[in-house]
Amino acid sequence: MATLLDVRDLKTTFLTSSGVVRAVDGVSWDIEEGETVALVGESGCGKSVSALSVMRLVDEPAGRIESGEIVYKGRDLLKLSEEQMRHVRGREIGMIFQEPMTSLNPVLSIGRQLTEGLEIHMGMKPPEARSRAVEMLAMVGIPDPERRLGQYPHHFSGGMRQRMMIAMALACNPSLILADEPTTALDVTIQAQILELMRDLARRLGVAMLIITHNLGVVARYADRVNVMYAGRIIEQASATELYANPRHPYTLGLLRSVPRLDEPRRARLDPIEGQPPDLTRLPEGCAFAPRCAYRVERCGEVPSLVALGAGHRSACWEAERLVKELAA
Amino acid sequence: MAYYILKRLLAMIPTLLGVAVLIFVLLRIVPGDVVEARYLGQGSQFQSQELMDLERKKLGLDQPLWTQFTTWMAGLARLDFGLSMWTGSPITEEIKLRFALSLQLAIMASIFAQLLAIPLGILAALKQDTWVDYAVRVFSIAGLAMPSFWLGILMILTMLIVFKWVPPMVFTPLWVNPWENLAQLIWPALAVGYRYSAVGTRMMRSAMLEVLREDYIRTARAKGLWLKLILARHALKNAILPVLTVMSLEFAFLLGGLVVTEQVFNLNGLGMLFVEAIARRDYTLTQALVMLVATFFLIVNFVVDIAYAWLDPRIRYR
Repeated sequence: MATLLDVRDLKTTFLTSSGVVRAVDGVSWDIEEGETVALVGESGCGKSVSALSVMRLVDEPAGRIESGEIVYKGRDLLKLSEEQMRHVRGREIGMIFQEPMTSLNPVLSIGRQLTEGLEIHMGMKPPEARSRAVEMLAMVGIPDPERRLGQYPHHFSGGMRQRMMIAMALACNPSLILADEPTTALDVTIQAQILELMRDLARRLGVAMLIITHNLGVVARYADRVNVMYAGRIIEQASATELYANPRHPYTLGLLRSVPRLDEPRRARLDPIEGQPPDLTRLPEGCAFAPRCAYRVERCGEVPSLVALGAGHRSACWEAERLVKELAA
Repeated sequence: MAYYILKRLLAMIPTLLGVAVLIFVLLRIVPGDVVEARYLGQGSQFQSQELMDLERKKLGLDQPLWTQFTTWMAGLARLDFGLSMWTGSPITEEIKLRFALSLQLAIMASIFAQLLAIPLGILAALKQDTWVDYAVRVFSIAGLAMPSFWLGILMILTMLIVFKWVPPMVFTPLWVNPWENLAQLIWPALAVGYRYSAVGTRMMRSAMLEVLREDYIRTARAKGLWLKLILARHALKNAILPVLTVMSLEFAFLLGGLVVTEQVFNLNGLGMLFVEAIARRDYTLTQALVMLVATFFLIVNFVVDIAYAWLDPRIRYR
């Protein structure tokens, strides 16, 4: 499989009143064609900003992509003009946002919001775009699509709005979908439906997908490969099965241990990760996770780099080997 | 919807009745009446109690208040405003031309104000905190700070001194000579419209800034729409609602509230008529004017409410 999107050493910063926030601090990840990759981490670790950077939708002028390359199908998106980038958005790369309640325009009909992309990117005439929109709504499982086109977002439930977002993102046959916490705002039962739908459609249409989530359960079920982010950096990369079987970073281990499991005997309590995610304007010297880390050693004062530990498995921890041994013991 | 419209129209009746009672009572609380105003005017030595009583009898002012009120109401119900107490001619005749002038001025000033406010507000929002934004804000603050009559005086002086031209003094209705009519009204419309646009510009700017931060604007950008389409289709329709409210209330005010501007431009509009009618204690004329302006306010409000539902599908009236 060929690499579809290759993000290299991406740095995105925000200028805030309390200083420069390095929201994304030199991350590299890639997606192959048709593959589903997850970006995992706590709130504020830079997951969403990574995705917005790919779309070049970081809020300017406060937010700025400082450096790096975002190579999509051989072209560096960061070098494109705004007009060239416009042809990538929606046409090549679709995006699904977290809040279905606020991400759709309340005063435009469902039909209008679905067809405008088709008219602009595919050069469709209104009747053609309309029938394609009906097709898309039916595809994402919205009943009676013909009638639904004339309705407005407030007629839709949260789950249906997210289906509509998926239809919108897929309308122009993109090669890649960026899904930014697509199910966080939904009920648990609906979450599963939406994720199943996304996976089925991605497989059927051969679309690659980036799922941004803080939910490791989602990762295990739906992702091929995982990138774990902490404080603007990627601290572990592995295939989903490998990550669950052999976590090589104390933070990943902490995340896994704090997930309640239904398929194991009930433990007395969950093991949360102690402490708070760091303030991105005042990152500690060295490894950002060190203050919360049980495996901390003196060397953690230096920033560890991502080191390959086996096939496709990389971890940014000085003590990765010790972690493995202790877990094995 | 038809039911809602009917309901709203019927609801205007009690409101107007309240206005009628209020203005009727207020006018009679003010000392003096039209007869006194006429005969005991400045420095007049003429005083004849019999003659004044006779005059009052002729105007029906000797009747008990209740009878006066019901007579007035009965007339209103037939859309008959009666005669002016001062001039004795039918009020409809008195008001007709002035209403046409005031309405035309209000509409022209409104159009000018919107043409200024909406693009400037959008521009300022897009270029927030740049020199463009500051320039627009200074321009609109200046509009608020400058009384329109003063701006009017500046305009007239400029035309007089620089172009040696004065707008025609005698009012020509639009249907008589449109060109002359516009030449005459364009200046007061500009003076009033500029001031009126200031509120709209600021409203448009802040509403636009708010809307541009909304998630659905980001969604629209992620779809690869071009900026102009995002603004025109996605942002404007959401941002225009508060602007519409403010602008429409101002519009209703323009009909009867331009007393000084009318004086500066030598226009016989409703504003001037209002002041004169009150000064002369012309009960019937004042009452008719108040009812007219009140009705106008109600209609404008009503139209705006309907426009709301048309702009925002979440608003539905039953």
